[in-house]
This record gives sequence, structure tokens and C-alpha cells, in this order.
Amino acid sequence: MIPVSLVVLTSLLYFGVLFGVAFYADHQRKRGRSVIDNAAVYSLSLAVYCTSWTFYGSVGRAATTGIDFLTIYLGPTLIAFSWWFLLRKIVRISKEQNIVSIADFISSRYGKSSALGAIVTIFAVLGIMPYIALQLKAVARTFDLLVYPFATTGTTHILPKFDLHFDSALVVAMILGLFGVLFGARHLDASERHEGLVAAIALESVVKIVAFVAAGIFVTYGLFDGFGNIFTEFLTRFPEREHLLRLGSAENSYAHWLSMTIISMMAVMFLPRQFHIMVIENCREEHIRSAMWRFPAYMLIINLFVIPIALGGLLLNHGSTLNADFFVITLPLQYGQPWLALLVFIGGFSASAGMVMVSSVALSTMILNHLLMPIILKVHTKSQNLSRLLINLKRLGIIAVIFLGYLYYRLLGESAALVNIGLISFVAATQFAPAVIGGLYWRQATRRGATIGLTLGFIVWFYTLLIPTFVQSGWMSASIVEQGLWGLTILKPTELFGLSGFDLWTHSLFWTMFVNLGSYLAISLLTKPCEAELDQIRKFVDVYNPLPITTERTRITRAPTVIEFVDLMAKFIGKKQAHASISTYLGDSEIDEKGSLSEVELPKLKRFTELTLAGSVGAAPARIIIDKYLSARGSHMEDVFDLFGSVNISRTASREQLGVLYEAAHTVASGNDLQSILDEILKIFTDQFKFDLCVIRILDEERQTLTVRSQRGMTSEHFGESERDLTADTFIGETYLTNNVSVVNDSDFISKPKTAAIIHREKILSFAHAPIAVEGQPIGVLSAFSRTAKGIFTSEFVELFTSLASQVGVAWRNAQQTDRLITAREQQRELAIAKDIQLGLLPIKVPDFPGVRLGGLCIPAKEVGGDYYDYLIHEDGRLDLVIADVSGHNVGAALIMAETRTLIRSRSDKFTKPHELLRELNQFFYDDLTRAELFITLFYLQYQAGTREISFASAGHSPTLLWQARNRQCLRLDPEGLIIGVKEEFTYEQESLTLEDGDVLLLYTDGVIEAENESHELFGEKRLIELLSEKHQLAPQELIDYIVEQVRIFSGHHNFQDDVSLVVMQVTQQ
Amino acid sequence: MKMERKLPLTDAWVIWFLLGVVMINYPFLHIFNKNVLVFGIPLTILYFFIGWPVSIFVIYLFSIYLGHDSARDSSNNDQQSGSDEETP
Repeated sequence: MIPVSLVVLTSLLYFGVLFGVAFYADHQRKRGRSVIDNAAVYSLSLAVYCTSWTFYGSVGRAATTGIDFLTIYLGPTLIAFSWWFLLRKIVRISKEQNIVSIADFISSRYGKSSALGAIVTIFAVLGIMPYIALQLKAVARTFDLLVYPFATTGTTHILPKFDLHFDSALVVAMILGLFGVLFGARHLDASERHEGLVAAIALESVVKIVAFVAAGIFVTYGLFDGFGNIFTEFLTRFPEREHLLRLGSAENSYAHWLSMTIISMMAVMFLPRQFHIMVIENCREEHIRSAMWRFPAYMLIINLFVIPIALGGLLLNHGSTLNADFFVITLPLQYGQPWLALLVFIGGFSASAGMVMVSSVALSTMILNHLLMPIILKVHTKSQNLSRLLINLKRLGIIAVIFLGYLYYRLLGESAALVNIGLISFVAATQFAPAVIGGLYWRQATRRGATIGLTLGFIVWFYTLLIPTFVQSGWMSASIVEQGLWGLTILKPTELFGLSGFDLWTHSLFWTMFVNLGSYLAISLLTKPCEAELDQIRKFVDVYNPLPITTERTRITRAPTVIEFVDLMAKFIGKKQAHASISTYLGDSEIDEKGSLSEVELPKLKRFTELTLAGSVGAAPARIIIDKYLSARGSHMEDVFDLFGSVNISRTASREQLGVLYEAAHTVASGNDLQSILDEILKIFTDQFKFDLCVIRILDEERQTLTVRSQRGMTSEHFGESERDLTADTFIGETYLTNNVSVVNDSDFISKPKTAAIIHREKILSFAHAPIAVEGQPIGVLSAFSRTAKGIFTSEFVELFTSLASQVGVAWRNAQQTDRLITAREQQRELAIAKDIQLGLLPIKVPDFPGVRLGGLCIPAKEVGGDYYDYLIHEDGRLDLVIADVSGHNVGAALIMAETRTLIRSRSDKFTKPHELLRELNQFFYDDLTRAELFITLFYLQYQAGTREISFASAGHSPTLLWQARNRQCLRLDPEGLIIGVKEEFTYEQESLTLEDGDVLLLYTDGVIEAENESHELFGEKRLIELLSEKHQLAPQELIDYIVEQVRIFSGHHNFQDDVSLVVMQVTQQ
Repeated sequence: MKMERKLPLTDAWVIWFLLGVVMINYPFLHIFNKNVLVFGIPLTILYFFIGWPVSIFVIYLFSIYLGHDSARDSSNNDQQSGSDEETP
């Protein structure tokens, strides 16, 4: 007998310690360190499997039915052997898919099915609630035993001091509820990890094993003389009970043994609390390796003393099995070890508390995600901040689950139902096994298979286990068990379809697995996985063989920006969580948070958002949320057409975009004027992509600003300030200066104030500028603006945009080249005209003049040189020869030569003296020549037929050569004279000579002597003199031809640099 | 490559697992299910409380081997993933 106050105090103290440990662990987690991140803690946390049923129930069972309790622990040991493959795969998948409960796992594997999640949740709650009741009962009873050891029933107490009735179980329920809320539902963590809870559980496991082993040692070595002693004594005193120590009896048949083993193997993994602590709370896969042997070792040690205590209790209680469950606490009490009893109480309390806390958190998560979320999503169609609602629902769920367990316990009272409840829950957990294990390894497993298998399994479970226990506790009439449903013996719950001769558990296990596994296999084979499932199958079955990263196969139209995704997340998990998640995600990739996303990243971001939400609300609700959100925006997923492996745009989009480029190219090549081309390009672009505004700006060389050459959609106000300087103040300027594209996908985030003002005034949401470049140098900027949507300028679209800008560049360059071509052609026309004029000035034929033979030739060069020569015959027997060369190669020069000829022809009669003529020419042409910046060189020679006298003057022209027959020598006729057009007034020198028979005069222009050969040698006067000396006897035309040929041979070209003109006069014998 | 190296281990694992199943069930149990006391302890119980630690020890050994295996695999995978990164 221990005072109530002491027990209460110790309990509260212990709770305080638990709270402290939990709080410390959570606190450390916030600071980034993890107290529970080690293998020992993980293994200890798994020991939550050992509930008060281990503590008390095992002993009771050992004392009444024998060693079959061992199966509860041998089974888990056997399956622990498989954990490195089985459990590790489950953990890997769950971490990757952000799975938070077993219902989530099953629902997620089978295509994120809401229905399946709901079914699993309902069954889990039905199956586990009684188990919670069992725990609360154990605490209440042991509390009573400590305080009133002689009481057999009764759970209400009177606290003397306060004169209150209280039910210890209720108090425990409340405190556990508080603990669960504090450490299991602090916030909607996107991963459902609760470090504080796990730390507390681990501590409880330590206390449990210490307490039990202490009690065991006390009984075995304190009250008896060791193991051998107990067995020997027992068998001596109760030989008829030796069956307790063996198998094979009716109650302990081998079938029963096998069934229990199988059931335990499944339960240790698929009970919701086990799944939660084993999978969800797992920190590292590595820990599984050591848990594989540590956990069985724990179970071994804690079970070492069960049989001794049971037998010892029987021995000491004269074989009475009354309250055999609680031998472990009554023996110390009875034999003077109250502190040990208190320790045992605390140990048993730990066992119960652990189970209740973890189960309530796990179940509450499942209820929220799979039962409540679908309803919430249907009701709350407007977007609101749901995170507060959700976390409060979670907390409510935890408390509700515990209190339902408490109610169950109160209602069922002391009925025998509770004793078996543990195994009933185990069989319930076994129903999840096919769906989970099949889902892990079998691709063909489908949602329908799992759904029907589970449902049928649970129906049979209910019928074969729950109904018999209801009958046993008196809730239902016994007729159904005795005679079967509707009086059909074949439907007897304990002998279904005539399968008799088996214990309750084997029978139930057989039938539930038969229908569950059977329909699961059959229906999965008959049905095909749907679209959503296929994806999940790959993620689950092939989790160890991830596919290589392929190019994205889908894109989202009208996709949300990063900020919008974050806002969506915040609605469900709170702003802080959402921002933390997105920073971690963005840290890995190169997305600009300010709205610029590439098409490839968007589907990834959508998946990330869905995954994050799944951590808080479950996979199926998360998918619904995302789908609803996207469809509300008008976004949807599109298949991607992989064009040439390098451009990823959708099938329809690629046609659009290529079409635009094609039409633009077509326009550019059309040969229209530049303005039409620019306008047409913009029209094509805006028509196709519905931009509100498009502008082409080209650099104005003079003013060094970018001015608008073509635009669509500009308001006049905008147009008025449309010029852009070449500074980085504006995006346009920056684009030009850096020769790089500028993209702003979200006009809320503009860094340049000047641009921001205009953009916001014009209500533009997103825009982009691309440099228009010709041969790599920017000459302008192409701009596109949208008033309707953000995020249009994905990197693929920007590529198109840049291509279009280069088309504009091509158009511009073509226009430039065309201009140049036209100018060149005009120049050529001019030259052609000049040549025509010039050639028209020359004499058509050689005139006859007594006493002389004449010849003349002018060969125009490619570039017009403007030579001119003439023969003028006067009535008084005078022959004038003139040869002239004008600088300048254009029509103007040619016209001046024409004028010169006209003047000479009209005036030569009047002026008998060459130098006078030259003077007049000089005066006349001075102004014109000066204005045109031209010169004329000219040689004028007069020949008097009677006297054979020549008089001549030169205006800077090459000296005329005279071959004198008498001396056989060449004379240079080079009177002084200034080039015409240099000075306004000039007096020219004149010389005279008399010619004789055989004399040859050669007049020429400098094209002859300035002909170059390859070595840049000039033909020169000397060679000409030589030629004249050699061939003076040739007829004039022949002589000329000969000279021309020699010059051609000398220069190596057929064509001459400058015009070549020659005039020859040969004096013949009279 | 990972599967190849694990195969011998997986084979061994399967053998031990099946052995475990067999040894805690009917045919084998029956051998030890005799009403005999050894060192004062009933044979059946002794069978379990010796067999159980032995099994745990076997699991322990496996966990060691698995540890070496996964360490080797993870270093191989690092090499593999390294070379994967090189290929464009």
C-alpha cells in the first residue's frame, strides 16, 4: 500500500521528466542539432511495440495459457531480419514522397487515391481504438493496485484532501492528450517529424526494461533461487500444468503458434504507431541496420523474466490465476518492495503512455489527411489561409482519439473483450500487409485490387473476431456464434464455411488473408493500373533505380510564378514554413525567385509544391489542391514535343513559333522598303502572340539615341517619351549596351526606377528586350510588352524572340546594302554618261589635208579620264591640232571638255596665235574649273600648209615629240604654260618651228607614259622617243597602233589605267 | 553491379530466413517439445532462450556484412555518379 499522494507525485514527476526530455529534443532540433539522430535511440523508440500488454499481459498469458506469448516477440525478430530490404525500401520511398502515415503510403502507391486513404484510416481507427482503451485500463488498474492492493475492481478514487472523485484513467487520458498535442502537433510540419516525442519514447523504453528486469531479478533471485529453482518447484507442485511450458496442447497448438507468429510479424510493421515510429520518424536509413538486432535483443531481455514471474506468482498465490496479469506489480508489493512496485508502475505507465501518444498522433494525422481534408477542400473553395484550421483540427484529433479510447474502456468495463483486444488489433494491422508489401514489389498491383482486398479483409476480420468478442462480452446475443448469421451454420463467425477445429486466431487469420490476399491478387491481375498509378508504381517499386534525368516531357501553360506557388503553400502550412521550404528548393537550382522561370523548371516546381503540401495534408489532398489551383488559373499540363532534341516546346507551340519566324523571313526577303518590312514583322509577331505592345528602336547615329522606327500598340504619351539614351538606366539601354537580352517576367520586381514608372503607368505586367544586331554589333532593340500575363518570357520563348530580333537586323542590313547598291549604280550611270559624252567629242574620221598624213586614237580607260583631241581645218590653209586632258572622272568634267571643244572650234578661226587661244581658254574657264575643282592640260599646235611652219603652246601638257628627218633626232616641244584653271590671268609662251619632209609630230596624253608594269615602272617618255625614232616611217595610224601595242606589252594589261590618246602628223613629200 | 554483389548475400539471407521460419515452427519445435528439464529448465523454454540469442547474433553478423556492402556500394555509386556527370 502506497499513499496516493506519493504515487501521484512520482507520476507527475516522471511526466515532468518526460516533458523535459521532449522539450529539450525539440529545442535542439530547432537549433539544427538532433538528439535522436542515432541508432540506439531509433532502436529504443521501436520498443514502443512493448506496451502494457508486454508488461502485464504477457505474464498473465504465460500463467494461464502458456508460452505462446513468445510468438509476439519471435515473429518480430524473424521479420527484423528482413528489414534491411523491406523496411529500408519503405523508408526510402516515404522520405522521397514525403509520406506521413501508413494510410498515406497505401493511398499514394495506388495513384494517390482518396478512397483508399479513407478506408485505411477508418479501419485503423476501428482497430486501434480498443488497444488504446487497453492501455488506459492497465494504468488505472495498476494505480489502484498500488494504492488499494486489495481491491479487485473500481476505478474511481477519492482524493481525501480535495474531496474529489476522479478516475485515474481519465486523468491519464487528459495528460497523454496534452503530451500528444504538445509534442505531436506543434505545427504543421511538412514532414511530420516529432523529435521530442521520439526522445520521450526512447526514454520510456529504457525505464520499461529497467523496471521489468528489476522486478524479474527480484522474483527470480529474491523470492526464489534462480531459474532452475522456479521451474523445478513449479513442475513439482503443479505437474498438471506442465503444458504451460510446452506446445502442442489444444490451446497451444502448432497452428495457433504459427498464426500468432505471422500475425506478430505483420503487426510490428503495420500497426499505425509502429509504421509511424519506424518509417516516418526514421532519421537515417543506416539506423535500420543496427535496429535489426538491437530491437530483438531488447525484446529478448525484457522477456527473459516473464515466465519466472508468472510461475513464481502462481507458486506464491497457490496456483490462483486471479490477477495473474499484474503479478509483476503485486509480487513486489506483497513481499515488501514498495519502491520496486512503484518503479514497476512507472514502467508499466511508460509502456502505456508511449503507445497512446504515438498512436494518437498517427491516427490523428490519418484522420485529418484522409477523412477531413477532402471535406475541407470541397467546402473551402475560396482561397483562405487554412493552416490555422488544419493544425487545430490535428490537435483536436489527437485528443478525440484518446478520449474515444477512454470511452471504449468505460463502456466495455471489465469485459473479457479487452484481453483479446491486443491480438485483434494485430490481425487488423495484418490486413494492411498485402497492399503494402505487394505495392512495394509487384508492378501489376492496382488500386482496385488493393481497395477490394482491404475492404473484404476488414469485413471478414470484423465478422470473425469482433463479433465473437462482442458476444463474449454480452453485447450481442450468442445466437450468431452458435448458429451462424441468419441461422446458417456455414456462416458461423468462428467456423466460417465449415472450417472447424482451429482456434480463433488461426481461423480468422486464414479467412481474412484468404479474401484479402486472394482478391488483391485476382483483381490486380484483371485490372490495369491507371495513369496516375503508373507514375507511382515507378516511384515505389523502382525507388532504387531512378530513371536518368530526361528532358522534360510536359509543360504548364499560363504557369504560376514562384511567388504564387509559395502563397499557395502558405495557405496550408503557414508563411514561415512555406518560405523555408522554397528557399531550400531554390538553393539547389538557378531560378530567379522574382518570377523568371524556364519551362523545364515549372513542372519540377509544381511537383515540389505538391510534395511539400503532401507532408502536411497527405498525398491525395495535395494533388487535389494543386490540380484545383492550376485549373482555376486556366493552366494545364501539356505534352512536350521534343524538336530536334534541343528545343522543347509543345507540338502546337512549335508550329506557331516556327511559323512566325518563317513569315518574318519571308517578309525580310520581300524586297519592300525597310519601313514596310519593320511594320510587317511587328504585325506578324503581335498577331500570333497577342502582345499588347511591340516596338523596334534603331540607333540614330547623329543623336546617339535609340529612336522608334516601328511600333504597335503605343499610346501617344508613351510614344512621346519613347527615345532612349544609351545608358543602363533603362532596360532598353542596357540591352543595347550589353548586347544581351533583358527579360522581366513580373513587373512587380523592376530594379530600374525610370523604367518602373513607365511600366506601371502603362499597366504592363511583363516585357522583354532583345538586341537587334548586325554582324554581332547592336544597332537597335526589339521590345515586346504584355498587359495580360506574367511569366510569358520563358527561356524557349526568349530564343524565338531573339531570332526575330536578328531577322529585323537582317532586314535593316539589307536596306543599308540596297542603298549602297543604288548609290553605286547611280555613280556608275554617271560614269557611263560621262564616257558617252567624252567619246562624242572625238573626231569621227581623220581628215585629208594636203602635205600631211594624220592619225589619232583615244582609248578610254575603265575609269573615265576625259581625254580629247581634235583636228581643225581652216580656210587659210591652216591645220590646228589640239590634245587635252581633264582631271576628274564625272559628267561635270566631261561637260567642261565639251565646252572647251566648242570654244576652240568657234574661236580658233579668230585666234591665229595659239597662246592667245590658250589665254582666252584660261580666262573663260577659270571660274568654272575652280568651282568644280578641275584642271585641264592642253597642247595646241598650228600648222601652216604653205610655209610648213608650226606654232604651238602648252598648258601644262606633256611635251609633244617631233622627229626631225634631217637630224634623225627627236625634239621635245615643251613651251611653258600653266595648267588651265589655276590662275585667272596668264600669258602663255609660244614657240615656232619649220617642218620638213619626213618629220613626224607625236602628240599624246600622260596615259601613255604613265602606264605601269608589274614592277611599278613607268613607260616613260624615253621609251616613247625610242619608239618614235624607230618607227617614224610608219603611217600615222600604224605608228599609233604600234605604240599602243608596245604600251600594252609593257604594262602587261590590255586595259590602261588612264585614257591613252595619240595624235600623229607626218609631213609628206610634196 | 549492385545487384551482382548483393546476390551472394541475398542468397545467404534467404537461407537463414527460411531456416529461422522452420526452426520456430512445428516440425522442429516438436523435437524439443519434450517434458525434459536441462539444468532445471524445461527443454522447450531452453530451446527458445538459447535459439533466440543465437538468431539475434546471426542478424548482428548480417548487419555487419550489410554495412560493409553498403559502404562499398555507396563509394561505387559515388564513382558511378561521378562518371555519369561527365557524360553530357
